[in-house]
Amino acid sequence: MKSYSITRRLIITVLLVELLSALSLSAAAMFYERHVRFHSFDIMLRGRADSLLGAVQDAEDTQDNVMLDGTEVNFPKEDIYEVQDAGGRVLGHSPNWTGPDAAMLAATAGRSFRLSLQGTHYRVLRIEGLRIVDPGDKGGGIPRRVSIFYGAPIDRVWRDIWRAVGFYALVSLALLVVSGILLWWVLNRGLAPLRELAAQASGVSVDSWNFHPPQRARTIAELAPLTAALETLLAGLERAFMQQRQFVGDAAHELKTAVAVLKSSLQLLTLKQRTALEYERGIERCQLDCDRMEDAVAKMLTLARVETKTELPQPNFATDLADIVQQASQQFESMAELKRIHILISATGPVTVDADPEQLHLLCANLLLNALQHSAAGSTIRAVLRHDAIGIELDIEDDGDGIAPQDLPHVFDRFYRSDPSRSRNTGGTGLGLAICKAIVSSSQGTIEIASQLGIGTQVIVRFPAAVPSSASVKVAVRD
Amino acid sequence: MRVLVVEDEVRLAENVAAALREGPNFAVDCAEDGLTGLHLAENLCYDLIILDLMLPGLDGLGLLKKVRSRGDATPVLILTARSEASSIITLLNAGADDYLSKPFDLGELIARSKALIRRGKGVADPILRLADLEVNTVEQCVRRSGKLVDLSPTEYRILEYLLHRPRVIVSKRELLEHLYDYNWEHHSNVIEAHISNLRRKLEAATQQPSIETLRGRGYRLLMGFEDGR
Repeated sequence: MKSYSITRRLIITVLLVELLSALSLSAAAMFYERHVRFHSFDIMLRGRADSLLGAVQDAEDTQDNVMLDGTEVNFPKEDIYEVQDAGGRVLGHSPNWTGPDAAMLAATAGRSFRLSLQGTHYRVLRIEGLRIVDPGDKGGGIPRRVSIFYGAPIDRVWRDIWRAVGFYALVSLALLVVSGILLWWVLNRGLAPLRELAAQASGVSVDSWNFHPPQRARTIAELAPLTAALETLLAGLERAFMQQRQFVGDAAHELKTAVAVLKSSLQLLTLKQRTALEYERGIERCQLDCDRMEDAVAKMLTLARVETKTELPQPNFATDLADIVQQASQQFESMAELKRIHILISATGPVTVDADPEQLHLLCANLLLNALQHSAAGSTIRAVLRHDAIGIELDIEDDGDGIAPQDLPHVFDRFYRSDPSRSRNTGGTGLGLAICKAIVSSSQGTIEIASQLGIGTQVIVRFPAAVPSSASVKVAVRD
Repeated sequence: MRVLVVEDEVRLAENVAAALREGPNFAVDCAEDGLTGLHLAENLCYDLIILDLMLPGLDGLGLLKKVRSRGDATPVLILTARSEASSIITLLNAGADDYLSKPFDLGELIARSKALIRRGKGVADPILRLADLEVNTVEQCVRRSGKLVDLSPTEYRILEYLLHRPRVIVSKRELLEHLYDYNWEHHSNVIEAHISNLRRKLEAATQQPSIETLRGRGYRLLMGFEDGR
């Protein structure tokens, strides 16, 4: 799509509208001027025609005729006139009068008409006049009707009209230019906050997330929503980006360390000539190092998978959490027996949770394994499952060595290890609880941990209540 | 020479310690967290500290700053999994002497460790010479008047340490502190036995006196003294 400028469009639109108004104004001015000027022109014509009537005199002849007294006729020389009596006899006319005209004779009295004579356009008025001729001693008067045609050139009137229209047009054109410049200036000023906002926004990059919208942008009604949206978006993006960067950095650190361990184990073997037994032991250690690296990679991938799934729309699950807890505890049965730890599960009937069964299993297995690893021989791990109207709660409680208070806020952080020597023994990567949190979050649940050193640890997982009956009902409710 | 390895990745620490013990014959102590590392560095005498950055308790940079603020000039080699220039600059500016990025080469680690210890003692040449005595620290062989002297690892360690401090009386305690790691049970007569063996082997070649014992004070190399005292 072609790019365009709002400013230019607005200016062009406004100017077009103004131009249209200027044209309309000029047209209206023309009609008005024509009307007014021709009206006064007609009045003038009538006045002159009346003066002409005054010049019609008694001819003082036997027939009591009338005549036009040339001495009383004094009109502008460009005007034309003719006086006829009732019989059509011409009593007199102006020198530039060339003769009667068909239109002239057909014209009604009191009305004006157009006439062209020798290339000049005239407006001619015909009036009927009555002249009482004094018959002398006979007494009374003889009425003599005369028709007077009086015309004047209209070119001048038109010239005046056009001049007036031209004046109006010129003034509106000047106004158009002035308002165009004014509009451009106002728009430029008005859009300045938008430009500032754009400049600020364009300064944002993955290395610099600083976005300080100009204060003006916040106070402008049209820009405030955009500014707020940008701020929210950038803050979210920055958080996600930093999290991702942190994860990549941590993962790289973890892998580099794992590779360093393996590499140093191998190089140590080649440092000098060794016995077959030493080589054998060395290779065994290398294998253990490999296993640890494999475990770390698998956990990272699991975490990435769980987090990716969170972003995708999930199908509806109706998983029985009680069953999952049972399965997970069976998985660790032999390990628990070996350490003489008792796993006590208390659940009343099936508890339905809307979560992927595979992930729920991973969650329960991780939590039980943590409890097992940190419990002393002969102790008990209690897994209690409750559900009520608000939701489902799974408590896994151990009497183990607990977590130090300074570590407690960080236990869900990725790669966080509270005690390195312990994680060596248990093969921890610092990802187990991060995976648990990701799984719980993906099902809109919460996970909390409470612990006291030397007394034990309690993990509380809460899920929102799923509709307890069949899947079809659930679908209906969801829709 | 005695080295402190502060590294929370236990397997890596084990490998580094094993390599330093087997290769250049160093005594090695390991610490798994920053606070233990700081405690060891403050209370014992080390010729080199190998320091990981990401440590629980006190991180590597913090430990380094604390050590340097006490006026401790022990060479410090940093192990880091981060290799951005900015972090390396920060480290060197905080008083580190060298760094290695993980994963590193054990051979390189050993070579750098030796170089740092050498520099820490004010020596540039990897072959230490004193009069007719010549100790090649790379091949770990000792010659006196051109004749090869076959020494046990501990004897070599004692000789190398004494050579780094020629004309100075080195106490038995100092030898114990620099040549044995934390797990060693300190028996002072062990040193005496080794010194006696060392003296015998060195003198077998030239019949010239080599190490002087100053009762209650320590030991001193005799080579290089004009009067042969």
